[in-house]
Amino acid sequence: MTHIPASVVGYIQSMWMAEMILTYLHIDVQGRLIDWGGYPQHYGLTTLTKNKLIVEQVDFLDGFLDITHTEVLQYLNIGGNRCINVHIVPLDGSIYVLLFDVTDEHDKQQKMQQQVNELSILTYRQSQLLQELEATRKKLSEEKGQLEQAIKLKSDFIATLSHELRTPLTSIMGYTKLLDDAKQASDYETNYLDSVKKNANHLLSLIDNVLDQTKLEIGQIELHPNNCNVKQMLEDLKSLFLPIAQDKKLLFDIKIPNNLPAQLVIDELRFRQILINLITNGIKFTAKGFVELKITWQSNKLYFIVTDSGPGISSESQQKIFTAFHRESTANTLPGAGLGLAISYHLVELMGGQLSVESSPQFGSNFTGFISADSIQFTNTSNINHTNIKILLVDDSIDLRSLIELYLENEGYAVITASNGLEAVKLTLQTKPDIILMDMQMPVLDGYNAVQQLRAKKFNKPIIALSGSNIEHDRNYAFKVGCNEYMTKPVDPENLLNAISQIIQ
Amino acid sequence: MGILQKKICMIGDFSVGKTSLVAKFVRQTFSDKYLTTVGVKIDTKLLTLPNGNQMKFILWDIAGSESLTTTTASYLRGVAGFLLVVDGTRLPTWNSALNLREAVEKQLGNKPFVILLNKADLQDQWEMDEQVIEEKTKQGWKLLTTSAKSGMNVEEAFLELALLMT
Ligand SMILES: Nc1nc2c(ncn2[C@@H]2O[C@H](COP(=O)(O)OP(=O)(O)OP(=O)(O)O)[C@@H](O)[C@H]2O)c(=O)[nH]1
Ligand SMILES: [Mg+2]
Repeated sequence: MTHIPASVVGYIQSMWMAEMILTYLHIDVQGRLIDWGGYPQHYGLTTLTKNKLIVEQVDFLDGFLDITHTEVLQYLNIGGNRCINVHIVPLDGSIYVLLFDVTDEHDKQQKMQQQVNELSILTYRQSQLLQELEATRKKLSEEKGQLEQAIKLKSDFIATLSHELRTPLTSIMGYTKLLDDAKQASDYETNYLDSVKKNANHLLSLIDNVLDQTKLEIGQIELHPNNCNVKQMLEDLKSLFLPIAQDKKLLFDIKIPNNLPAQLVIDELRFRQILINLITNGIKFTAKGFVELKITWQSNKLYFIVTDSGPGISSESQQKIFTAFHRESTANTLPGAGLGLAISYHLVELMGGQLSVESSPQFGSNFTGFISADSIQFTNTSNINHTNIKILLVDDSIDLRSLIELYLENEGYAVITASNGLEAVKLTLQTKPDIILMDMQMPVLDGYNAVQQLRAKKFNKPIIALSGSNIEHDRNYAFKVGCNEYMTKPVDPENLLNAISQIIQ
Repeated sequence: MGILQKKICMIGDFSVGKTSLVAKFVRQTFSDKYLTTVGVKIDTKLLTLPNGNQMKFILWDIAGSESLTTTTASYLRGVAGFLLVVDGTRLPTWNSALNLREAVEKQLGNKPFVILLNKADLQDQWEMDEQVIEEKTKQGWKLLTTSAKSGMNVEEAFLELALLMT
C-alpha cells in the first residue's frame, strides 16, 4: 500500500476494524508463538517473532497460558489508543488468543462511568460539608450558651458586689451625716468628717459608674422617666458645685431660661448624672477662668451646654473621648476611671438625644447636647399630718435600721422594726402597718419572698423596696412580686420621706 | 529470559489515584484532571532492586470499584502482588480497600500487598484515623502514605512491594 497516502490508509484500516476483521495469535504447548493473523500492530503489538516465547512479546498474557477453559478479558488497553476484548481459547494443547476491537463501546462506557463517579464524589463532598456545617453550628450554639451563662454570672456578680459594697457604705454615709448634723464637732473633727464624707462619696460614685458602664454594655439600663422639677434640680446642682468651684477660684454659673416648664418628664436621676459628669470634668480640668452650664428648652427638647476655659482637647482625643476607660494624658495626675463621658454619651443617646464636643486649646471646651423632655401640667402636693401613720421598717443591718428609724421618727411617723422577712410577715399580720419599708437582701427570708407572702395573705398597703442592688432585673422583680416603689441604697433621707408621703396620698 | 517478570495489580475504589500513581511511577507525570479507567490499562516498568538485580513489573491498572466484580476478578489471574490504594481524603475508600483485600485473598490465597494512603498532599481534607493505621501496621501490614501529585513515597511503594515478592 506504499503508493496510497497515509491518511487514506488510516481510513481504510478503520473501516476494516469496524467490520471486525479477526486478529489472532496462535500459541503452542511450550508457550511459543506459532502464527498470527489480522492486525495485531493496531493494538500496539508491533514486533512479533514466530517461535519465540509469547510472554516475552505480549506482556498481558503472562499468567494466562495454563488455562483449561476459555477466558475473556474485557476492555484491555495495552498501549496505543485502541481498546480490545481478549478471548483466550485453549484448543488441543495449543492456545488461540482472539483480539476484538471494542474502542467505541469502551469510550461510551467510559463517558457514562465518568459521570457516575464524578457525581458520587460531589455527593460525598457535599455530605461532608453538611456534616462540618452541622458540627460548626452545634459548636457555635454551645459556645453561645456558655457565653450567655458567663454574662449572667457577670451580671449576678455585679448584683452581689453592688449589694456588698453599697450596704456598708450606706451606714458610713448616714452616720457621717448625723455626726455632721450634730455640729458640735471641733475643727479637726470636722475636717476628718469632711474627708470621710468626700471619700465615701467618691467610692460610691466609682461603684455606680462601674455598674452603669457594665449595664450599658449589656444593654441592661432602662430609663424611668417621671415628673421632674428641672429648675429645682438645677438650683441643687448650683449649690452643689458652687463651693467646689470657689475652692479652685473658678467662676461657676448655671443659666436657666425663663420658658422652662415647672415640670418635665425625664429620668431625673440619669439627667442629673449626665450634668454632674460634665460639670465635674469641667471643674477638674480647668485651672483658671470659668465653668458654665447653659440650659434651653425648645419644642420638647432640653438643650444643655457645658463650657469651660480649660486646656481644651486635641482633635485626635475628641474622637476617643466618649470611649470607656479613655483618659486624657493631662488627666494622669487627677482621679477618675475615664468612665464619666462614656456613660454620659450612652445615657444621652438612651434619652433620645446626642452629645458632642467642640474644643480648641486656646478657648477651652464645649460639651453640647440635648435630650427629649415633654412638659406636663404642674400639680400641687400638700403636706399631710404624719402622726397615726404606722411604718414597718425591715432591714437586717442594725446600723441602717436605727438610722432610718431616726429619720422617720423625726418626721413624726410611728415606727416598728423587723430584722428579716419572717419577722416582717409576722409583725405585719399582728400590727397592720400603713406602709412597709422592706430591705430585699436579708437572711432567713428575703424581701422578695416576704413581699410575695404578704401579697398572698391579702396585705394591700404600700411596700417600698430598699435595695443594695441597682441591677435592672432586681428592680423589675421587686415590682413583680408586689412592691410599689424601689429605692437603691444608700437611700437619700429626703427622697425616702418624699416617696413615703407621695405614696400615702 | 534473564529478568524476573512480575504481574502487579492496582486495586482500590474509584478515583483513589491508581492511574495517577502508575503515571507518576512509569512516566513521571501527573494531571489534576480525572479520567476514569474502564476495564484495565497495562503498563510495564523495569525496576532496579537495592541488591542490583532488575525486575520487570507488568502493571495492571484496574478500573476502580468498591468490591470485586467478575470482570475485575478475571484480570487477577497470575498476579504476583498488588497495591491496594486508598484515597486518604475519603474514608469510605478505606473500607473498600479492606473488602477488596479480603475478596482477593479468597480468590488467590495470600499474595503480597502494600496499602497506599494516597493524596497525602491534601492534608486539610485528610480523613484517615491514625489509630486504625497503627493497628494494621501492628498486624504486619505494610502501609505507606503517598502522593501521586508530589511524588512522595511513589517509588518507595513499588519497591516495597518488589521486596515483599522476592
Ligand atoms: N491532590 C492529589 N490528587 C490526586 C492524587 N492522586 C490522584 N489524584 C487525583 O485524583 C483523581 C483521580 O485519580 P486517578 O488516578 O484517575 O484515580 P483512579 O484510582 O485511577 O480512578 P478510577 O480509574 O476511576 O478507578 C484525579 O483527578 C487525580 O488528579 C494525589 O496524590 N494528590
Ligand atoms: Mg484509573
